[in-house]
Amino acid sequence: MNQTLSPKTIKWFSLGWMVAVYAFLYMPIVTLVIFSFNDSPLVTVWSHASFRWYKALMQDSDLISAVWLSLKIAFFSAIISVLFGTFTAFALNRYKRFNGRTLLSSMASMPLVMPDVIVGLSLLLMLVSLQHWLGYPDRGLFTILLGHALLGTAYATVVVTSRLREMDNKLDEAAMDLGCQPFQVFRLVTLPLLIPALVSAFLLTFTLSFDDVVLSSFLSGPGYSTMPMMIFSRARLGLNPTINAVATVTIIVVTIAVIASSFYTSYLERKRKREVAQAYSDSNN
Amino acid sequence: MAVVSKANIVREDLLRVEGVTKIFDGAVKAVDNVSLTVASGEIFALLGGSGCGKSTLLRMLAGFETPTKGRIFLAGEDITDLPPYKRPINMMFQSYALFPHLNVWDNIAFGLRRDGLPNDQIAEQVEKMLGLVQLAKYAKRKPHQLSGGQQQRVALARSLAKRPKLLLLDEPLAALDKKLRETTQLELANIIEEVGVTCVLVTHDQEEAMTMASRIAVMSEGHFLQVGAPDEVYEMPNSRQVADFIGNVNIFDGVIDEDKADHVTVRSADCLHYVGHGISGHSGMNVGVALRPEKILLTKDQPASAYNWCEGEVTEIVYFGAHTTYHLKLASGKVIKAQALNNTRDLSYGLTWGDTAYAYWNERAMVVLTQ
Amino acid sequence: MNKVSSTLRKFIKGRYLVIGIPYVWLLMLALVPLLIVLKISLSEMESTSVSSMMDWTHGWPTVKLNFASYIFVATDALYYQTYISSLKYAVMTTVICMAIGYPFAYFMARSPKHIQPTLLMLIMLPFWTSFLLRIYAWKTLLVDNGVINNILMSLGVIHEPIAMMNTPFSLMIGMVYSYLPFMILPLYANLSKLDMRYLEAAADLGASPFKVFWLITVPLSKAGIVAGSMLVFIPAVGEYVIPELLGGPDTLMIGRVLWDEFFSNNDWPMASAVAVVMILLIMLPMAIYNKYQSEQMAVKV
Repeated sequence: MNQTLSPKTIKWFSLGWMVAVYAFLYMPIVTLVIFSFNDSPLVTVWSHASFRWYKALMQDSDLISAVWLSLKIAFFSAIISVLFGTFTAFALNRYKRFNGRTLLSSMASMPLVMPDVIVGLSLLLMLVSLQHWLGYPDRGLFTILLGHALLGTAYATVVVTSRLREMDNKLDEAAMDLGCQPFQVFRLVTLPLLIPALVSAFLLTFTLSFDDVVLSSFLSGPGYSTMPMMIFSRARLGLNPTINAVATVTIIVVTIAVIASSFYTSYLERKRKREVAQAYSDSNN
Repeated sequence: MAVVSKANIVREDLLRVEGVTKIFDGAVKAVDNVSLTVASGEIFALLGGSGCGKSTLLRMLAGFETPTKGRIFLAGEDITDLPPYKRPINMMFQSYALFPHLNVWDNIAFGLRRDGLPNDQIAEQVEKMLGLVQLAKYAKRKPHQLSGGQQQRVALARSLAKRPKLLLLDEPLAALDKKLRETTQLELANIIEEVGVTCVLVTHDQEEAMTMASRIAVMSEGHFLQVGAPDEVYEMPNSRQVADFIGNVNIFDGVIDEDKADHVTVRSADCLHYVGHGISGHSGMNVGVALRPEKILLTKDQPASAYNWCEGEVTEIVYFGAHTTYHLKLASGKVIKAQALNNTRDLSYGLTWGDTAYAYWNERAMVVLTQ
Repeated sequence: MNKVSSTLRKFIKGRYLVIGIPYVWLLMLALVPLLIVLKISLSEMESTSVSSMMDWTHGWPTVKLNFASYIFVATDALYYQTYISSLKYAVMTTVICMAIGYPFAYFMARSPKHIQPTLLMLIMLPFWTSFLLRIYAWKTLLVDNGVINNILMSLGVIHEPIAMMNTPFSLMIGMVYSYLPFMILPLYANLSKLDMRYLEAAADLGASPFKVFWLITVPLSKAGIVAGSMLVFIPAVGEYVIPELLGGPDTLMIGRVLWDEFFSNNDWPMASAVAVVMILLIMLPMAIYNKYQSEQMAVKV
């Protein structure tokens, strides 16, 4: 029975499968982009190409201020997330035994496994209780920031932890052996080696924050509407070509950034490999 | 090698370890009541298989682990509780642990900068170290741009830069391939000799220990089996374990027949041994007679002597190029190994599989193991 | 003898700081909020605020527990049917993602080494673009006068638009679409590390390609299968945005019920009780996953 499956058949089958999956993944994105250049107010019926909805987008001051708010929140929450994520990853990786380590690691992974609605609800109820006692904080930018920072901390912890795990403990010991006190070890050896991981943690948490709609909806107050919240409320009502225009802009920015960074990392990788090979052939001559 | 003779020169003790024990997780005794002294200028090797406790002992000297019991003194000062960054001890790490984000120059200068030396002194010392390991033209390279042997030399320069009182070497050659190891071994020994630094070396490779060290401690299960100069440990092992661990050995189980001041005879299943020196034992005692394969000679004719030979059948001939090892099956079923130097192009003995051969040896070839 | 040096003391202080800072942060934002949810789920709504649990009667504090919300969740058909349908949709999503994702990850891991980073980047790329916008895009594709119906009608395949939007079908499309990368990535990570020599050894010993796949590849990729399933199943149970945008009125999922209790009915104790029950539902597969992981670790040690 297996004789009927020639290697060629298998090859074509696997190629077809992969093309189909990529088509499934990219079809919605491509249509979104195409119809952003559609002149018709009906999102789904093509009339002719125009920049009509981009002009509309530029005059949509609500949406533009929402984009700014989202960018601001994403930037600051990413910084806070990377900071606390690094602390958490350090506590979990450098100190193998302390009371409540299990609790710390489960708290750090809680936002990863809990549905957003639960994280949002619980944070809001906590903040409401806090406001009940202290009269602070009011719901708004700060509360959204806290929510995103919690979510981001969990993700940043994962990114930094995986880097810390693959880092050689011997480097820390070597630094200490050569006269570094613990904080100097961190500043002179661990931190410089951690920077790529911190950059990717920042990008990841920035994206998560910029994308979040559920936590923001729970935690925002009147007058604070992030870009996803605005898109969500418009999308609930129906289709709106301005959303296509916003989508196209963000997709183009993100795609360029991702492709550029992946080219850059593969360039570094290739350069490194060349140098390693060079070092060995040098020493043999 | 030349360093062997140094063991006899009496110098003051630099390192003294007193009754050090390390227990992990409250149960595992990694190091068990070890005491040792290392004289100034000595190269001391800790030799043993994995898990014998040699690395734990080294890490306690460096300060990465604190002993559960016992004290460590360096030049008379108790350093047991000093953190690693306060000890005048530096370590060359296994697989080097060079900082990947710093170039060769900065790697070597790293420790000097921590001491807050002025820049010109740092530069002077780094240049000196680069000259010592002959890497001056590689100063601006990053570690991944160096070959394994070059990386090893950077690691050595980095650990010597602060002029430590004691240098620790953790498996210094393990990361190199076999061919490179031989030349690097010589280089390493020469540089250490030139600097004159006291060394404690950890290795699982007996050849490395023998060629580099002035004294060797053979370790097993957390304690020392024997401490002595390389030739002592090889030629006069004090137990079956040591004899077995270092080099190949044939051990005949036997009983002491005659115990005289200048010789003993031991009767074993296949032959009668005449050992040309006195031992601390008594007649009737069960002992083992250890005999290294290279000390056994083979012949086709039965020897005339009453002692120190046995008859057997050649069951295996293993050709190594420089020498050949013959396996001889004795009457009792015991198999012994004899090694013959291939000093001519045709195999020395002209023996083949199934031949009957006689093994014989000198009365000073054997060691009687009472333990 | 036992003097602790000043640097050692500093070292210990540093340790408390490094552990203490994230501890306080996560206690405040992760644990305490969950405990508050638990507390509120056991209170009842009093006009505009939640009733107090502690009551000072006869000079003694008495704790008043109110299980009304839980009783309601357990007895009202709407709630338990919603839980069941949430689980059903989550299981279906996981199974479909596995059916599409496993072969995909397998083919990806078998493709030429130099194109694998590009293939991987193409899987990650949609993940970096807004999830919300991608779900919105499906809406433009699936509605009655949407792109798919328009194309099919203009080609003459159909004459009436197919009603795809606001059905379980559109919901599943959105769920599978969103969670497929989460299935593919751990499976690919696992399969790409698979030692080809095992497969060659099995083939050498006479196993047919199908047998090799079933007896060697699948068991060895179990860790990836479990991880991928958990990454899809757990968030799928509590999903809110996808059912809200793509699901119809009858495709109820528990995330939407929680949202409505909170935002529309303002019933905080009810929303909290719904959340607590959801947490319990999620903890079961989590516990199985953790047990499996620790078993894996034990095997390795």
